[in-house]
Amino acid sequence: MTTATPVIEVKNLTKRYRDTLAVDDVSFTIEKDTIYGLLGRNGAGKTTVMSILTAQNFATSGDVRVFGERPYENARVLERLCFVRESQKYPDDALAKHAFGAARLFFPNWNEELARQLIEDFQLPMKTRIKKMSRGQLSAVGVIIGLAARAEITFFDEPYLGLDAVARQIFYDRLLEDYTEHPRTVILSSHLIDEVANIIERVLVIDRGRIIMNEETDAVRNRAANIVGDANAVDTFVRGREVLHRESLGHVASVTVLGALTAEDRERLAAAGLDVAPVSLQQLIVRTTQHAAAGAAASDEGALR
Amino acid sequence: MNRTVNVVRMQLINKQTFVWVPLIVLGASFAMSIAIYAVLYNAGIPGPFYGGGSQAPLWVLLFVGVSSLTLTFPFSQAMSVTRREFFFGTMLAAAMCAVILAAVFAIGGMVEDATNGWGINGYFFALDWVVASGPLGAAFFYFVMAMLIFMLGFWSATIYKRFGATLLTTIWVGIGVLMIAGFWAIGSFDAWVEMFTWFAELGAVGFAAWGLLLTVVLGGISYLTLRRTVP
Amino acid sequence: MIEEGRALFLQIAESVEDAIIDGSLAEEAQAPSTNELAAFYRINPATAAKGVAMLADKGVLYKRRGIGMFVAPGARELLLRERRAAFADRFVDPLLAEARKLGLTPDDLAQLVRDRASAPAATTEGNVR
Repeated sequence: MTTATPVIEVKNLTKRYRDTLAVDDVSFTIEKDTIYGLLGRNGAGKTTVMSILTAQNFATSGDVRVFGERPYENARVLERLCFVRESQKYPDDALAKHAFGAARLFFPNWNEELARQLIEDFQLPMKTRIKKMSRGQLSAVGVIIGLAARAEITFFDEPYLGLDAVARQIFYDRLLEDYTEHPRTVILSSHLIDEVANIIERVLVIDRGRIIMNEETDAVRNRAANIVGDANAVDTFVRGREVLHRESLGHVASVTVLGALTAEDRERLAAAGLDVAPVSLQQLIVRTTQHAAAGAAASDEGALR
Repeated sequence: MNRTVNVVRMQLINKQTFVWVPLIVLGASFAMSIAIYAVLYNAGIPGPFYGGGSQAPLWVLLFVGVSSLTLTFPFSQAMSVTRREFFFGTMLAAAMCAVILAAVFAIGGMVEDATNGWGINGYFFALDWVVASGPLGAAFFYFVMAMLIFMLGFWSATIYKRFGATLLTTIWVGIGVLMIAGFWAIGSFDAWVEMFTWFAELGAVGFAAWGLLLTVVLGGISYLTLRRTVP
Repeated sequence: MIEEGRALFLQIAESVEDAIIDGSLAEEAQAPSTNELAAFYRINPATAAKGVAMLADKGVLYKRRGIGMFVAPGARELLLRERRAAFADRFVDPLLAEARKLGLTPDDLAQLVRDRASAPAATTEGNVR
């Protein structure tokens, strides 16, 4: 593995709105030339974090360094970043070509050839005003800007929400292709975890303003297992292990348990007649998030007493 | 610096806002004014005719000022442009627009003077008080008026974007109240004559100088407000 | 092709190992590059690189400077040895467990294996897995 160079360092970042804590004492590091998945529910704080990193929004407290400097009003740093928002606003009369023309002016690494290819791939109508475009076409504009800008740090905030499955696959494919030839740091926020699971190297899960997971994707992949079978046998097996989720139907229980299974574990399971099913990254993160929420609720109740 | 100039180009994406609407309003206003003067002249009225028509293109700039923020600021943030670059680039665009407008007005004024009001004693560009300062003075006056009105729009939009409609309305109502109070004060001291004399002595250039000061002050406030505005 | 619940880089490494074992990737042949693997499986190139690095560490692949990764001589033997050792864990244990569930004794199992092995044509057509 190449030595890691941090390009973004976040320490104790907090963002408070009136009475809500959108980002709660968050700290993490983003390394160069890596694709990160910033995952979490709606309103978990993903967009807020990305806005603050790109100086579009402001922290209440905490320290953010991009390329070692504070990004606020720092043209030297900002021109190396690109943040494509979900539902980005464009100038009123703008056509797609105006948006790309402007991007060409402001992003030093902008590649016209790539933009042209992407326009074709996404079948973007160049004569339609952006404000009259469909949701999918609007998303495509943002995606094309994000990809063709080849910014050293590129943020994608679910800009592909309007894209259909085919267009999304085109996005993932082009992202990987271009990333392979021109490595850069990419931070991708998404709900569609399983779609991006194979693309992201690291997983950053944020829930209600806090980071609850910050790991290499592969390390997380075999982090949990689904044990299915006779409820008693299942419960016996999972005793002493952390259970993320439990479902039962009659005598049969399905339990999502944390912790990689050793060979011995598998023998025990086979002997007990229990089935093991893999847990997808999406399932794992969903369950972990729910588990964390349940834990928080329990401790809240405890605090109230 | 280059990026600031590129902001001008970004603003000009909205050609309708920055170019066509002002031009159309100017043209239409001019045409209508001259048409009315012609009718009156042909009806035997000697004139000279003055109208408020030449104000119309200036007031359009209020709309241009507002749009330059609301339509383009969020996009500029997506282009990784700093707020400072955006501010100065937009001001540059406004200044270019104002220079062109001022040139049109000054030259138009000279033409009007030379043709004795288009032959019908009707004046659109050449207002006595303004023209008294000469074509350069007139150009300066129109330039500042254009910038001031643009800035009023830009400043209002910035306040709106940062603090919301309530505060903006309150401020404008407050300004209105102050102005009314001012007029009332002038009236109660019976100082209208003094005021008009002061204006006349100030001349268009002097008046424009105060206008420039106001523009700069509003600009400063807008800039400071913009620095903490979220797209 | 890509399984859930298992590290991707391991799966990539395995797919290359499978090709070596079944002979489609010969010794001293050039292994698919990291980028080729990443593009084929639509995964992050860094993950593919990890898989390739692991194979290099194991001695299955070696690097020819400036050209790429090649299959090491003896790699097939190495892998066969490894797989045979793991065969019991991977296949025999689950087989025994399932057999137990169905009430088949190890002798029944042995008989089944012998029967199936002696009728290869029928099995390959009949077994749609």
